[in-house]
Amino acid sequence: MLKNIIPLASFLLLACFPARAQQITFQASVDRNEIAAGEPVKLTISLENASGGAMTTPDWGGMVVMQGPMESSSFSSINGRMSRSVSRIWYLTATQPGSYVIGSSTVRVGGGVLHTDPITIKVAKGAAGGSSADVDRAQKKDPNLFCTISLSKSKAFVGEQVIATYTLYYRYNSLQPQDYNLPKLNGFWAEEVDMGNQNGSTATINGLRYNVAVLKKQVLIPLHSGKLRVEPMTLNYLVNPSFFSSGTPVRIQSNASELTVIDLPGGKPADFMGAVGDLQMEVTTGTPQVKANEAIDLSVRFSGRANLKLIDAPKLTLPPDFDTYDPKINDKITVNGSGMSGSREFQYLLIPRHAGKYDLGTLTFSFFDPSSGTYKQLRSAPLTFDVAPGDGNGTATVGTPVQSDVQRLGSDIRYIRTGDLDLRPKGHYLFGSWAYVLGMALPPLLLLLSFLVHRRREQRLGDHEGQRRRGADKVAKQRLAAAAAALEKNDRNAFHDALGKALEGYFADKFNLGVAEVTETSIREKLGILDGGRTAEAYIALINDAQMARFAPLETKPQRQAYDEAAEIISRIEHQLRK
Amino acid sequence: MKRLLTPLLLALALPLAAQSSTDALLRRAEAAYAKGDHKSALALYDSVNTRMTSASLLFNIGNCWSKLGDVPHAILYYERALRLAPGAEDIQANLDQERAKVVDRMNELPSFTLGSLWDRLQGGTDVDQWARRSLWACALMAIAAITGTWARARGAKRLLFGTAAIALVATVCSALLAFYRVQQVEDRGSAIIMTPSVDILGEPHAGSTRLFILHQGTKVSALQRHGEWQEVRLASGAVGWLPSGSIEVI
Repeated sequence: MLKNIIPLASFLLLACFPARAQQITFQASVDRNEIAAGEPVKLTISLENASGGAMTTPDWGGMVVMQGPMESSSFSSINGRMSRSVSRIWYLTATQPGSYVIGSSTVRVGGGVLHTDPITIKVAKGAAGGSSADVDRAQKKDPNLFCTISLSKSKAFVGEQVIATYTLYYRYNSLQPQDYNLPKLNGFWAEEVDMGNQNGSTATINGLRYNVAVLKKQVLIPLHSGKLRVEPMTLNYLVNPSFFSSGTPVRIQSNASELTVIDLPGGKPADFMGAVGDLQMEVTTGTPQVKANEAIDLSVRFSGRANLKLIDAPKLTLPPDFDTYDPKINDKITVNGSGMSGSREFQYLLIPRHAGKYDLGTLTFSFFDPSSGTYKQLRSAPLTFDVAPGDGNGTATVGTPVQSDVQRLGSDIRYIRTGDLDLRPKGHYLFGSWAYVLGMALPPLLLLLSFLVHRRREQRLGDHEGQRRRGADKVAKQRLAAAAAALEKNDRNAFHDALGKALEGYFADKFNLGVAEVTETSIREKLGILDGGRTAEAYIALINDAQMARFAPLETKPQRQAYDEAAEIISRIEHQLRK
Repeated sequence: MKRLLTPLLLALALPLAAQSSTDALLRRAEAAYAKGDHKSALALYDSVNTRMTSASLLFNIGNCWSKLGDVPHAILYYERALRLAPGAEDIQANLDQERAKVVDRMNELPSFTLGSLWDRLQGGTDVDQWARRSLWACALMAIAAITGTWARARGAKRLLFGTAAIALVATVCSALLAFYRVQQVEDRGSAIIMTPSVDILGEPHAGSTRLFILHQGTKVSALQRHGEWQEVRLASGAVGWLPSGSIEVI
């Protein structure tokens, strides 16, 4: 650390002094005003060119005096000009981090009073000096030469950065390193801190003054939970080598350090990839409008303070029509005393194979923030690409497009049924319901009813014989209509004429004969099969009687009887032939 | 007149009102499910299921359970849905997916060999299908027989009586199928294991020999009951007792 001199305002009392007297100053200064807890700060209060009374001791404002006051005075004469100064020196320290104010000191010079300005000292958490217990223990082992390993935290989350400092304390004037054994690190990802050019510093521990050299700083990232141990380091030194002797070999061993590593809390987001720290995400794409088969640059940049080197490329959910390659990683990561910071950039090359509008959704990335102990999610703006058809046809190949099977990318249950769900009351079925019983019983009942009605009607209409006779009578009545009319009129000739014609006509029609063919022979032939020929003989007799009665006034029976017999025989022939 | 009309109108309007409120519940459930709020979708579907049911409703409830990660409930509702609609392809597909998550492997016959003609014959989604068919067949039989008795022409008579005979056979067959279907839907003979794991004991009392262990989602046949104990049979034929609280009848 640079030695800051805080210039103090001084009162000039030139008027009171002779012209040859030097300027009088009274000031307080510290070698640095930012220290770590436990580190010493050197306070110098000096009075120049004046002899005064006793300086007052300033108010320490909570700081602790480690050493002092030490008085020194000097006197010099340069080119006849004389100057002298008196200074008092203290070594102060603070055990707790915070801001401390060293009050002002006053001195009486001549007739006036001079003041120094108050000084503010900022005390940070003790890191470089290590935990004082470790230092104390190491000091007890060898008060002249010892080393410590200190961790910036005693508790950390998995993936959280912890800084390990390897410090050497020595009181020898000359020290020559021989070899060293660095501790083995199990369960850590270690990253060396670039120390640059570092000046040694001094520290006073328990009243002894040491030269302090930070040998090495490491950023440790615990990889799993539990108690992780940093094993002691061993160093071999030659003490006080000179021209005459090669020095005394001394072997020192540091303390071991232990770190309690806590698992990350549950409820990890799906897109959590192990990043712990404080991050920003920046997603940039090249041209949003491209042609098929042209490359799209997609860059995802994470920046901030985190275990950047352990961040994996975020997974892109790409449509299957996109080709992509493993992303290129550009790191701009610096590792310094405060840990790993900078940026890591993933450059993806996406090649859409077909034209269309593609929505890749938003890219999300979660990290764990150890300061708040929660997961935080970063979201990009929605990524959409408008892919125009490429040159030639829309596919990658020249000529016929290559067909490929539809890829199955995942599985899910079928979606719910929507709309009308065909709901029905619970436990109600048509089968067995009253409506069903009725519906099943009604048709057979109707059938039974119909059957009964039908049979009743049959019975009412009588037997088959009667029904047939009635039917046959109808034919006879039609045939004998003319004869019946003549009978009514009592026209004897007309009656017999009509009766004969009716009998001949009926026979001719029945057997499809001409009137001339109605002879006794044909009648016997056609009707002979009926009643053993009796019907045929009766028919012939009736025709003959009718002819006889027409031409001669001779009647074998009354007209009514002849009519009835004719009707009867026609009916009988009708029935018998129908059978 | 007015006194008579009011209750009549009310009787007509009440089912309509119930219908519309049910519809509203279904629409809300659909919206919730689409948003991914499966919990409230399930609650809404369940409230509908207290009064009404259908294969589709049970299927949707099964989907909600599946999305909530409750395998035994999902299987239970898919099985119930499948019983109302044998051979329904989407129900079977989801049931198969859920069954894949069950620990116990049961040598149940693969669905595609069963879900064929027999399933279709059972009448698909509609429980009343065969009952309705039997009614039609019965009516046809009666009409044919009645017209047959009154017909004069000998050919027509023969045709009609033949039709009536076939219709009679159809009536009997479809009535039997309807009877079978109702029996099947009302069948309470199988159950799903709901607790993560359950010991199957040799006798219906705690402390008897432990025969084997079953895990949630496994389907068993329910045999006799004895107090708080239920005798079950596995697909493999093994029989044992378990507490009746650990299963849910399909």
